[in-house]
Amino acid sequence: MTIPDALTTEAGPGLRIRTSRAVFGAGLLGGIATTSGIALTATSGWLIVRASERPPILLLLTAIVAVRAFGMARPVFRYWERLRSHDAALGDLAARRTTAYRRLIPLTPARLGRRGRADLLTGVVDDLTDVVDAQVRVTVPIISALVATVVATIVLALISPVAGLIIAAMATLIVPVLALGWWLETGSQQTLLRARAEVARVTALVSGNAGELQAIGAGDRAQSWLAAAHAELCRAARRQSHGRAAATGLLLLLTAAGTIAMAVAVLPDVGSTISTPVAALLVLTPIALGDAVSTLPDVARALARSQASAVRLRTLLGQPSAVSATGTLSAQATAGIPPDLSVRALTAAWSGSTPQVGPLDLNVPGRTRLAITGPNGCGKSTLLAVLARALDPSSGRYQLDDQDALAIELGQARRTFAVLDDEPHLFASTLRANLGLARPGSQDADVLDALDRAGLTQWFAELKNGLDTIIGEGGRGVSGGERARLGLARALLSRRPVLLLDEPVAHLDHATADAVLGDLTRSATEQSVIMVSHRRDGLAGFDRVIDLSQQTVDPH
Amino acid sequence: MSRPFDPRLLSQVPATRWPVLALGAIGVVQGLATIALAFAVTDLVVSVVESRAVLTPGVWLAGLFALRALLAAASELVGSWAGLRVSTVLRERLLGSWLTRDADSRPEAGRAQALATQGTTSIEPYVARYLPALVSGAFLPLLAIVTLAFIDWPSALIVTLTVPLLPVFAALIGRTTQDSTQRRWRSLSALSGHFLDVMRGLPTLASYGRAEAQVDSIATVSQRHQLATMKTLRLAFMSSAALELLATISVALVAVTVGLRLAYGIMPLSTAMLAILLAPEAFWPIRRVGTEFHSAADGAEALNDVLAEIDHTVARPNFAGATVSAPDDDQTGVEPSPVVGKGIGYGFPGAGTQVLDDVSFDLPIGLTVITGPSGVGKSTLLELLAGLRRPSEGTLTAPRSHLVSQRPFLTPGTVRDNLTLGNDCDDDEVWQSLRLVGLDDMVIALPDGLETRLGDDGFGLSAGQRARLTLARAALSSAPLLLLDEPTAHLDDESAYLAHQLIQKLAELRTVVAVTHRPELLSLADEHIHLTLRPAVNLAGVPS
Repeated sequence: MTIPDALTTEAGPGLRIRTSRAVFGAGLLGGIATTSGIALTATSGWLIVRASERPPILLLLTAIVAVRAFGMARPVFRYWERLRSHDAALGDLAARRTTAYRRLIPLTPARLGRRGRADLLTGVVDDLTDVVDAQVRVTVPIISALVATVVATIVLALISPVAGLIIAAMATLIVPVLALGWWLETGSQQTLLRARAEVARVTALVSGNAGELQAIGAGDRAQSWLAAAHAELCRAARRQSHGRAAATGLLLLLTAAGTIAMAVAVLPDVGSTISTPVAALLVLTPIALGDAVSTLPDVARALARSQASAVRLRTLLGQPSAVSATGTLSAQATAGIPPDLSVRALTAAWSGSTPQVGPLDLNVPGRTRLAITGPNGCGKSTLLAVLARALDPSSGRYQLDDQDALAIELGQARRTFAVLDDEPHLFASTLRANLGLARPGSQDADVLDALDRAGLTQWFAELKNGLDTIIGEGGRGVSGGERARLGLARALLSRRPVLLLDEPVAHLDHATADAVLGDLTRSATEQSVIMVSHRRDGLAGFDRVIDLSQQTVDPH
Repeated sequence: MSRPFDPRLLSQVPATRWPVLALGAIGVVQGLATIALAFAVTDLVVSVVESRAVLTPGVWLAGLFALRALLAAASELVGSWAGLRVSTVLRERLLGSWLTRDADSRPEAGRAQALATQGTTSIEPYVARYLPALVSGAFLPLLAIVTLAFIDWPSALIVTLTVPLLPVFAALIGRTTQDSTQRRWRSLSALSGHFLDVMRGLPTLASYGRAEAQVDSIATVSQRHQLATMKTLRLAFMSSAALELLATISVALVAVTVGLRLAYGIMPLSTAMLAILLAPEAFWPIRRVGTEFHSAADGAEALNDVLAEIDHTVARPNFAGATVSAPDDDQTGVEPSPVVGKGIGYGFPGAGTQVLDDVSFDLPIGLTVITGPSGVGKSTLLELLAGLRRPSEGTLTAPRSHLVSQRPFLTPGTVRDNLTLGNDCDDDEVWQSLRLVGLDDMVIALPDGLETRLGDDGFGLSAGQRARLTLARAALSSAPLLLLDEPTAHLDDESAYLAHQLIQKLAELRTVVAVTHRPELLSLADEHIHLTLRPAVNLAGVPS
């Protein structure tokens, strides 16, 4: 067995995946436990046969002590191994989480995809766990099995070279069996993941809209969507279970072959060079070994899983940052006063060289409320990311007042903008902390004022614990509209002079969406507001609405 | 979990019987093969020891190992199939139940989604791994003891006396550590939730320049998580080691008595060998049940919740006074059916006041318009007619219906997918319907026509286009009762005119009930129901 790829390859700078000494030590401990298990069976066989020859009891004592020692050693060393390996893995997980998080900061938000960033980040958390899991589920069992087979081979070779050879052959043949299992697992994994994601999507869609589906008599149709997704899932899972089935079955056949080979090889020498108790020991060893490696097919699955996770992490974390932090100037704009934004012949792209927006000319004087609409793919979000300094333009100029925006120190430039998207995150914390993060040191009065302006007066009045109410995961539930308004309150509290809104009401029903936009345009009086939206209605509060797909370079 | 296996699964969801039965059958045959293999191994070892020919025992051993290999492979395949089969059937039943239940008896959306996705998925390992372990845990020890009893009763006696110690010991450990374990799990989930929370919130943190500030807290919390997890794990590993030790000691007891009798020459080698090989088979399956249960505990809990949901009876105590019925012949086409309500009342669950009180009507074929101030319960009345809610008082008879609500469902699929939701119309009918609402030109102009995909929740369409699209869909429905909630509120006058024409046309053959603020639509009505705020009561059909 080679050290798995997932443990040796590099997943972006600072995220080297390695087998630590502690994990290696745990593998050795596991090896002792596994070896003890094999020795327990083999020496028991020896003891029984020796006892049947009716020697003086005293002669058996050494063997009895050995059997007991092996019987005790197996659980004790297994316990020790599990403690060591889990502790090492958790320590590694802690380190890797910090590294991955740090690595993600400069990639946020531009490199996290356009939609569903929270789900993508949840995937990162799971992938990190899977990669670390490989130490406990892959490295440790492999080292253990390696130690046990090496010890068994050496001990048996000392007794009878041919016996040692048989064990060595058995151990060697385990490798292609596991490789086959791994190959079948890896091949089906992507399909299975996709099938599972589709089932989850359909389930969420149907369970979230049960009433509306019922209203239009589409219940049966919805059931048929689910049935189709399930059929695909079952197909994918069947393919995947072939890997484990093959590996598990083949390991048993291998055990049978080893045992019979051993019996046939030993038989001529029994009574001459090999004593009868030793013959029993030799014949039982392949069975005990087969038993000890019977859990290895789990290794193939865990390995396939962690490798896929490592690849995803590497791809994500290995991306270059979308924005250069070379600016050094300090912003000239007076604090709190919205600057005039202007772009000239601007083009930009998330990746590659084909511009996804522009060339574009646009002037947004301070305190303008501008709505940018247009069909999917016309570059609305790309433009917004450039304005927010989350993405560098490919060409053209971008100015804040009279300054080149790219020349301003990145942190300062970004502090000009409060960005609100369609999934503002609520942390599992107090309402105060959730809003206050936008402006450290803000007073309760400021927070209350922001809540008022975001249209949450009524909602807040019903909270028994006021600003100390715990929201987010595990806390008080909020509706989609309340969530959007809390995001708005956070943006207002930040007092950043330009509000950039990226489809802020995308997930809300029509009436709520209109109400939220109404409150937004009413309360954001001191700021510039630039919103991109698919919707072409509910834009009454905006000074200007442009359709980006029809916007080009200004002839003036 | 109170019981190791909940028989309600098989009685309530018959489709799960085969998978569970198949798993059980394989487990039983595997047990038999395991016992038989102990005989074959004994035979082979004794043959070698006694220098006899190994051909016969060798063939037996090979055959039995091959059988076990087949069974093991089958167990993997069937386990995976059964796990999926049970979880998917349960998910289908669950959604089927929610799709036919009224709004007030469905669980809250977040809980419903969690149960239907993660919940049912966690039942997979419960079925695929835990149930087989349970079968062999119940069957193999019994079989081993019975076999032992036949070949060497003292060994059988020792095993019989010591096997029960395992579950008792496990329960004792469980009970003494229960409190601290639960406390730890709670703090553990809070600690492990922290990183997920910070990660999901990273875009928010980054946009307010607060991301760097979290690095230290991630490191600290991760370290605390490591310490807390290790405390919990130490306990779990310790009890698992203790159980293994207990099993080892029990087997050693068998070995000591066997060894002594061997040494005194009162027991043949083959019996002794067999006893030694069979004794452990009585112990490990029980330990495996414990191990697998840990990973299947979520599934057991989810199974409980899912069964409770499927079993849900619609009756609510305070609704005892209401009767709802549908005419028998409402499944066939556009046959007119009576729409009759007598003394209908409705209050939202948990709210003290009635939204509707003593409303009666008898609606003929034609257009009925419902008007009234906002909050008077117009939409609720439509939902009652649609069967989405159940009246708390009175009697209501209504046939199959199609309701266009104020937030109609649009699937993230093609325009055609959306228009044929709830009907089986062909493209000609679909285009015809689009023409009637004046959307045909827009759809023709779309890049892929009817094949154009609408984004999440029907993005890309204006409110007016959505309203017209869903009205076109209503026109395609064969339901004898059409219910329209503010169908033309978002439309300009020209589009509204077209829509009103269509509504009038639809009302020629069936009962159409529309809630509207538009006087033009009201002027087309055959019947008019005006709901007023308290003192409620009102209403009979007033011919306009």
